[in-house]
Amino acid sequence: MSDGDRERVGGDTPQASPTTAAEQAAKTEGDGGRAAAEAERAKKVEKDESEAGAAGHGAEPRGKRSDKGEATYLIAVAEALWEEMERDERVFMLGEDIGVYGGAFKVTEGFIDRFGPERVWDTPIMEETIVGMSIGAAMEGFRPVAEFQYADFMTCGFDEIVATAGKYTYRSGVPLPMVLRGPSGGGVRASAFHSQNPEPLFAHVGGLKVICPAFPTDAKGLLKSAIRDDNPVVFLEHKWIYRRIKEVVPDDPDFLIPIGKAEVKRAGDDVSIITYGAMVHRALEAAEDLEEQGISAEVVDLRTVYPLDVETILESVAKTSRALVLYESLKYLGIGSEVSAVIAEEAFEHLDAPVMRLAPPNHAVPFSPPLEDAFLPLTDDIVAAVDRLSKW
Amino acid sequence: MANTDTRTGRSEEDRRSAIEASGLKEEQLQEILYFLVLCRYFDERMETLYRQGRLPGAIYSGRGQEGTHVGVAYALRPEDSLFPTHRDLSAQLTKGLELKRIMAQFWGRIDGYTRGRDGNSHIGDWNGSRTFTVLSNLPNGYPVAAGAALAYQMRREPRVALAICGDGATSNGRWHESLNVSAIKKLPVVWVVNNNQWAYSTPNRLEFAVPTIAERGVGYGMPGVRVDGTEVLDVYTAATEAVERARNGDGPSLIESVSLRWKGHAGHDPAKYVPKEMLEDYVEHRDPVKKFAELLVMAGAIDQEGVKGIQERVEREFDEGFEFAQQSPLPDAGDVDLGVFTDDGYWEREPSREGGAPS
Repeated sequence: MSDGDRERVGGDTPQASPTTAAEQAAKTEGDGGRAAAEAERAKKVEKDESEAGAAGHGAEPRGKRSDKGEATYLIAVAEALWEEMERDERVFMLGEDIGVYGGAFKVTEGFIDRFGPERVWDTPIMEETIVGMSIGAAMEGFRPVAEFQYADFMTCGFDEIVATAGKYTYRSGVPLPMVLRGPSGGGVRASAFHSQNPEPLFAHVGGLKVICPAFPTDAKGLLKSAIRDDNPVVFLEHKWIYRRIKEVVPDDPDFLIPIGKAEVKRAGDDVSIITYGAMVHRALEAAEDLEEQGISAEVVDLRTVYPLDVETILESVAKTSRALVLYESLKYLGIGSEVSAVIAEEAFEHLDAPVMRLAPPNHAVPFSPPLEDAFLPLTDDIVAAVDRLSKW
Repeated sequence: MANTDTRTGRSEEDRRSAIEASGLKEEQLQEILYFLVLCRYFDERMETLYRQGRLPGAIYSGRGQEGTHVGVAYALRPEDSLFPTHRDLSAQLTKGLELKRIMAQFWGRIDGYTRGRDGNSHIGDWNGSRTFTVLSNLPNGYPVAAGAALAYQMRREPRVALAICGDGATSNGRWHESLNVSAIKKLPVVWVVNNNQWAYSTPNRLEFAVPTIAERGVGYGMPGVRVDGTEVLDVYTAATEAVERARNGDGPSLIESVSLRWKGHAGHDPAKYVPKEMLEDYVEHRDPVKKFAELLVMAGAIDQEGVKGIQERVEREFDEGFEFAQQSPLPDAGDVDLGVFTDDGYWEREPSREGGAPS
C-alpha cells in the first residue's frame, strides 16, 4: 500500500477528515461554543489514533495491529471476517468494491488475494439482489456476509431484508444464516446519506438480530457470533469508531461475544446511562466529567439492540434509580424509546426520577458542522442531561 | 377447421410432432395430463368453496395458465429448486407438494406447510420438494433464486434454480437486477415469466414498451424465448432446453410463456377489464388442459377411458385432501411466538397438536 493510500483511508469517509471538519466547526461558530469543545476532544482522539499504527503490515488483518498488539475497531472487524472465512468454507462475502479495491473503508483489504474472487465477490450495484442472493445462498447452506458500503444503503435493499429475510424462518422453518454488515452513524461530516443509524428500522422487523458494537473486542466477538448464527443478522459498524478506538483484542479464533447481552462498561451508583454504538464513548467521557462533579454514572452498553438484554438494563436501574437513555438513532421511536418504555413498565418502583431520553431530532442528518453538532448528542449535552436528572 | 387450432393456425400434424420433439414417453405424457387435470380441478373446487364461504382467506386462481406451470415444473429434477409466486400452485403441485398439506395450509391447520403461520398459496417445502415459500412482494423470489443458483455454482453441483413471476413483476427493479447478475455470473438459473397479459388490472401495453418480454433477454446477455403457454409441450420443451443449458454451465435463459388469466387477480376480482370476446376465445379454443387431453387421445397416448380415470383419481384425491385438512388440528395458540429464530428449536420439533379441533 502506498503512502498516498494510507493517508486517504485515514479519514472516516472518502469525503471528509473529521478533525479538520470539527476545527472548521469551531471556526464557524466562533469562540467557546459546543463545536469548539468538540474540536478539542477530536484533537485528543486524533493524537491517540496516530499512535494506533495504521494499516499496512501485510494482508492479514492481525498484521495491521499496533506494535502493542492493539487493534482498531476496523481491524477487529476485519480479523473476525478473516478468521471466520478461514474457519468455515461455507462463509463467503459479497458486496460492492470489496474485492480488488478492498472496500470503501478498506475493511476487506487483502481478502481477495487470500480467499479468491469467488468467496470475495465484487457485485454490481444491486442492494436488493445482494440481499436476495444472500438469502438464497443461506437457504442452500452457505453463510453469506454481505457488505453495504454504508448502512444508509441498506434501505436500497429494504424489501428483501424486511419482507423476505425478516419473515422467512417464522413462515417456513428454514434457517437463514446470513449477515448484512455496513458502517453506520454520524459525527463525521458526511450528511444525510452517509451518517444514518438505521437500527430501529431493522429491530422493528422482529425476525432480524441487530448488533451495534462500540469496542473493537465486542465488534470482533459479536461479528464472529453473527456469522456462526443460523439467523439473519444486521451488523452495524459505527464509522466514527472505526479508526478512533483501539484496544488489545483476543487472539483465540473461538473467542465469541454472545448476541443479546449488554455489558456495563463503567460501574456507578447515581445514574444509569443506557446507550450503544458511538454514544457509549460520549457517555464514558461524560461520566468522567460527572465524576469531577461528584456524580457517579454507570454506563450500560447494549451491544445488541435486538433482542434487547432487558435484565442488564433493569439491574442497573434498580441500583441507580435514575436512567438517561442515550441513542444516536432518531429520538422518535428510536431504540431508546423501547428501552425507556421497558424501564417505565418494569422498574417503576425503583425510579427516583422520570426516564430521560437524549437523542437526535426527527429529521435528516445535516452536513454543516454547527448543524451536525446541534443534531447529535455531544458530551456536554449528556453532562447537562444527567445534571437535570440528578436534581429530581 | 376441426383439425386446426383457430388462434395459432397450427395443424394437427404440427401438434403431434410436438410430442415427438418433447422426447416424452407415454407414461410421462399421461402424468403431465394428470397434473393439468389436478390443477384445474383443484382451482375450480377451491373457488367454489371460497364463494360458499367455506374457505377462509384468499385464493389466487391460476386457471388458464396450467400449461405454463406444469410445463416448466415438469422440466425440473427433484434436486432442482423452484421459486414460484402466489399464482403458481400448479407448478408447486407438479414439483411435488402434497395436495392434502396444501389444503391444510388453506384452512390454517397445523399440517399445512407453514404450520398455520401463513395462509393460501404462500406455500413452500424447501426440505422436501425444494420449493421456496411464496411471499406477496414480487418478484422477491428472483434474487433468492439467483442466490440458490450461486450456491450450486460455488459447489460445482449440477443443479438448477427456476423462478417464476408474472408479467407485472417484470416492471420491478429486482427483475432486471436478477437477470443482469445471472448473466454476468453465468448462473444455473431459468427465468420464467408467466405472461397472463394483465398485472392485476393493468394490461401489457401499460407495463412495457418492447413488443415482447422475451427479447429483453438479449439485452442482459442471455437467450429469450416466447412460447404459447396454452401448449404444455411447447413450454416443457423450451424449459427443458433452458434447464439443461443451465445445468451444463452455459448460463441463464429467459422464457416468456403467454396465456390468459381466466379469473381475476384474486377471488374478489371479477376481472371485467378483460374483454369478453378475448376471454371466450381463450376458454373455448385455448384451454391448455382440454387441448392436451385431445392431443393425447388423437395421438393414441391415452384413450377416453384413461382420461376418465385421471379425472376420477383427481376428484378422489381432492376429497381425501379436503377431509385431511378438516381433520387436521388448528395450531396451538401458545406456540404463536415460537420459531421466529432457530434458537428455540421450534421447527426441529413436531408441532403441538393441542390447538383444538376446528369448529
